Amino acid sequence: MLLDYDRMGWLRVMLLGITGLVTAFLLLPVVFIVLLSFGSSRWLAFPPPGWTLKWYGELLADPAWLGAALTSMRIAAIAAALAVVIGLFASFALVRGEFRGRNVLRGLLLTPMVLPVVVFAVAIYAFFLRLGLGGTTVGFVIAHTVLALPFAIIPIATALEGFDKTIEDAAIVCGASPLEAKLRITLPSIRIGIFSAAIFAFLASWDEVVVAIFMASPTLQTLPVKIWGSLRQDLSPVIAAASSLLVLLTLLLMIAAALIRRRFSK
Amino acid sequence: MTQPFLAIRAIRKTFGSVVAVHDVTVDIPKGEFLTFLGPSGSGKSTTLYAIAGFQDPTSGDVLLEGASLLSVPPHKRNIGMVFQRYTLFPHLTVAENVAFPLRVRRRPDAEVKRKVGDMLALVRLEGFADRRPGALSGGQQQRVALARALAYDPPILLMDEPLSALDKKLREEIQAEIRRIHRETGVTILYVTHDQEEALHLSDRIALFRDGRIEQIGSGEDLYLRPATDFVAGFIGNSNFLPAECLETADGAATIRLADGSVVSGVRANHDFGRGQKARLMVRPEAFRLTPDHACAGLAVEFVDTAFFGERRRVVARTASGQEIDIRPTSDMADAHRGGASGGRRVFFDPAAAFLFPA
Repeated sequence: MLLDYDRMGWLRVMLLGITGLVTAFLLLPVVFIVLLSFGSSRWLAFPPPGWTLKWYGELLADPAWLGAALTSMRIAAIAAALAVVIGLFASFALVRGEFRGRNVLRGLLLTPMVLPVVVFAVAIYAFFLRLGLGGTTVGFVIAHTVLALPFAIIPIATALEGFDKTIEDAAIVCGASPLEAKLRITLPSIRIGIFSAAIFAFLASWDEVVVAIFMASPTLQTLPVKIWGSLRQDLSPVIAAASSLLVLLTLLLMIAAALIRRRFSK
Repeated sequence: MTQPFLAIRAIRKTFGSVVAVHDVTVDIPKGEFLTFLGPSGSGKSTTLYAIAGFQDPTSGDVLLEGASLLSVPPHKRNIGMVFQRYTLFPHLTVAENVAFPLRVRRRPDAEVKRKVGDMLALVRLEGFADRRPGALSGGQQQRVALARALAYDPPILLMDEPLSALDKKLREEIQAEIRRIHRETGVTILYVTHDQEEALHLSDRIALFRDGRIEQIGSGEDLYLRPATDFVAGFIGNSNFLPAECLETADGAATIRLADGSVVSGVRANHDFGRGQKARLMVRPEAFRLTPDHACAGLAVEFVDTAFFGERRRVVARTASGQEIDIRPTSDMADAHRGGASGGRRVFFDPAAAFLFPA
């Protein structure tokens, strides 16, 4: 290979340096936010004059923040569940089906991942206004399910592609009905893909802000929307605390996804 | 006439304009081990999958004890099947795999437990009950698959090239296991393979497929010693085909003239040949002798190469017309050796062990 890491000599040092800088550039803001959430300064001064858990106390005492966090979780959970169920059916069609327009359908289902989010947000906002779904949980869930769908389809379809259909046929010869064979044999065999799909679909909704801003109403706000809204009013360290919690859950889920992969890939 | 146990009646399968299986008809008595042998694409697997229910035949029927199987959905056919690929359920243990067909039939726990024990004993994997399929070798996985397929005492067991992914030594070992299990259970087995040695080793009867048709059906000996066509002769065992011209046929025997002009009478012919018709004479490599005995035909050859294979010696010889033939003399090996690696000489064969086929 042209760029062989072992043969790069001094270039290796430079590569490591650049990698380090890029990583720091990407991660430092997050680290700062987390540090500031524990700082005692009212004005988000850095370095903080002292350390405190006060902002977390305020955050948890404020029903508006708590409500936003619960709303986020509820919507993300429902959207993830829907995305996984729809993703399962879609994956069976995309992987096993033989019909005209299969590739078109695949492209269509994955579009939400590449379409500029703001375009999708405006479109669905206008559409939902006419249907009276703007500002409702149902509207929120539908919008986020569409966004989460590609993140569910990709891991499930990949797992299904790696599963030999002959194994399902063997279950049918053994006396299981086609549905029973899928439920008892195929689904457990692709469960890593399903778990991954659930986690990534949940995260796709959990940290989504653009569509959420369009969908939100004063009484229905997700955590990212609440953070965004609060940020425009004042610069309270409570926002840093809320952001840190957002990051924490994301991190935990990513670790969970990695652990599941590792455990079952053996 | 008594009703056959399993009757395959004029099964035909077309894919678009391609006919994969041409009206295949076979009667299979209970307890028989019948092998569908043939090159890939000859329709043997398609026929098997029609019986299993994964391919709907275009026309024809499959009758089990007189009742049509085709209207029964695959999961209710109560047929056992072992596939070419490894099909153990990866998330279940060996015991759970074998128990699966019994569980879907809602058999009582005690029966399931006893049957799983019996089946693992049958395939000699008692100590592996709690292993996952991923921790087993390919041969062990296929034995578990066999145990799973037999756990519910199916009347028929279908096997679709179950050993093709295994290496030669393991294959022979499991062939012996399959023979033993067939003997012990008495299950009727339909076995698909493209390996003629495997077919000869395992089967009571062999149905040799070619281009979607059964070319010949019979015991291994029938196919080997009495091939109906040159295709059968070429597929089962090794064969030499010598160009010949037919001079006369009578009562399944023919008199012919070989390329070197020598006339041989008494070769076997089960076709009608016209006088002067071009034909091919099939002689098995082991039918050749290096010394003449009574009623032998001779052939002038030149030895090109001799190779030693332990129990047998293989000689590559060239006829006067330049055709290379394969000779595996069963006796007088010392003589083959004495003749040296090369040089002109004559080899002999019994005309009654030679078959004449149309060119």
